[in-house]
Amino acid sequence: MVQPKSQRIIFLMFCILPTLLLFAVFTIYPLFSGLYYSFFEWSGSASDKEFVGLSHYIQLMNDPIIPRTIIHDYFLVVTKVIGIMILATFFAVALTQLRIKEAPFYRVVFFFPNIMSVVVIGILWAFIYNPNLGFVNAGLEAIGLGQYTQPWLGSERWALPSLVLPSVWAGIGLFMLMLMGGILNVPKSLYEVAKIDGATEWQQFWKVTVPLIWPQIKNSILYIIITTLNGSFIIVQVMTQGGPNNATHVMGSYLYQQAFKQYNFGYAATIGVMILIISLITVMIMQFFLRKEKIQY
Amino acid sequence: MKGGRTPTPNTPKQGTKTSIKALLTKIIIRVPLVLWTIAVLYPIIWMILGALKSNAEIYASPWGWPETLRFENFAQAWSEYNISTSFFNSLTVTVMGALLTLALAIPTSYAIERVRFRGHTVLYYLYLSAMMIPMVLGWIPLFFLLLEVNLLDSLFGLTLVYAVSQVPFSIFILTGFMSSIPKELEESAAIDGLSPYGTLFRVVMPLSLSGIITVTIMNAIFFWNEYFMALIFLQSSEKYTLGLAMDFLNKEAQYTNAWGTLFAGLTISIIPVIIAYAIFQRRISKGMTEGAVKG
Repeated sequence: MVQPKSQRIIFLMFCILPTLLLFAVFTIYPLFSGLYYSFFEWSGSASDKEFVGLSHYIQLMNDPIIPRTIIHDYFLVVTKVIGIMILATFFAVALTQLRIKEAPFYRVVFFFPNIMSVVVIGILWAFIYNPNLGFVNAGLEAIGLGQYTQPWLGSERWALPSLVLPSVWAGIGLFMLMLMGGILNVPKSLYEVAKIDGATEWQQFWKVTVPLIWPQIKNSILYIIITTLNGSFIIVQVMTQGGPNNATHVMGSYLYQQAFKQYNFGYAATIGVMILIISLITVMIMQFFLRKEKIQY
Repeated sequence: MKGGRTPTPNTPKQGTKTSIKALLTKIIIRVPLVLWTIAVLYPIIWMILGALKSNAEIYASPWGWPETLRFENFAQAWSEYNISTSFFNSLTVTVMGALLTLALAIPTSYAIERVRFRGHTVLYYLYLSAMMIPMVLGWIPLFFLLLEVNLLDSLFGLTLVYAVSQVPFSIFILTGFMSSIPKELEESAAIDGLSPYGTLFRVVMPLSLSGIITVTIMNAIFFWNEYFMALIFLQSSEKYTLGLAMDFLNKEAQYTNAWGTLFAGLTISIIPVIIAYAIFQRRISKGMTEGAVKG
């Protein structure tokens, strides 16, 4: 493009600066000042902010609830990755490769929970788990397993596992679509070659489909991990608020409780720093384990 | 629900053995598909049916069909429980937020993708890394920042936070779409004497319209459904968005047993998304699958 240099710079400024400025004020600055807050004892009023050095980090190390929240987060990560990936892969393969006439119908229906808000999903599932009115207990009674009925979300043992089902229910559609995108991109000829070589459908799946959609599988797993570590507190907040007796507290819901219920903003910020570090380390480790050379075709 | 959908094989000429096997495969493969369809649709249909029941009926047969359709639950939720106010609050935040996100993300995407200035990759990765970072740490200082500039408990403040929060994702998607626009078009526009602003607004934007629409729908659905930032940044009930109103109604229902009203509220809150999804379903799933291929 032929134009004076100053004009080009002004145009660039016009394009970049307003966004960058707002991004700096509303995203970058809060993150760094969150780090700064973690060194203070602060209940929110302007006057009583007190520098306490690393003592919140020491408090964090000795807080018996912190390890539980981390375990809960990882429990959700692992169960969601397994549940979502198995079902989403199965559905993606079934809807792309098995010539099912009504496949578009399933594709639309399965994505549907992804457009619903977590609040609606949480309330809906809390009712499904409701010990008196809910479907789960009624269903168990109906098939003669009445002795297994539970006050699901009110039970310390079952509350956390009960959160997995709604999360998987709400997540399948998105990852199914992502994997379908990968599968539709695999050249048909590769399957023909495999068939001529006498590969069974199962072998074709493991030797052709999985390696060729590995980028999509990897991205999906990483995406589930990131969204779970960064956002599992929302479903927790809607369904259990961390209870009963901290049995479902995850890192984020504990931060919310410390900050906006108990007004320990400094300590809450320290938990935030921990979440940041744990998320970044987890993503890096997973990047390393999921790394595999890109296959050319 | 639709279990009877077992198609007869199209090729009866084949040997009976293979056609039976093919038929069996088709039935077996459909079992999980039909089961998951039921698992997805049943709770939603049941929620809508619950909205049409009286409380007594919900207690008597929570999972059955309603005897008479009580539409007054909807009226009650809409006016008595102030869902109307929350509905319009959500609508305001969604529309304004989606527009503001575009105003911020389109020029930046264009600059990153096409105006090859020094540092364009740095800028891209700056925004990209924000998609991986948990923002919950930033929400504490953001709370006090908004308090200081008088944007706490304000729909405009929430809109601003929403828009900035979706800028990284929007840039990620839009740069992808813009990279497929032929460079020659811009060059000839420049030769024809179009200013860079003209090129951006009259050539690049119309050509990336499909990407812009995709991003806008996804952002709008996100804003409409958002709950946690609203919980932190809004305080007075007349500012509540639908997520907060539903949460509030849910907690009330534990004591007042107004389940029918709660389900009516939930149903009202998902109607706009159902409509948007019905209209843009193809575009949404296309955006999702294509975004994944680029990965």
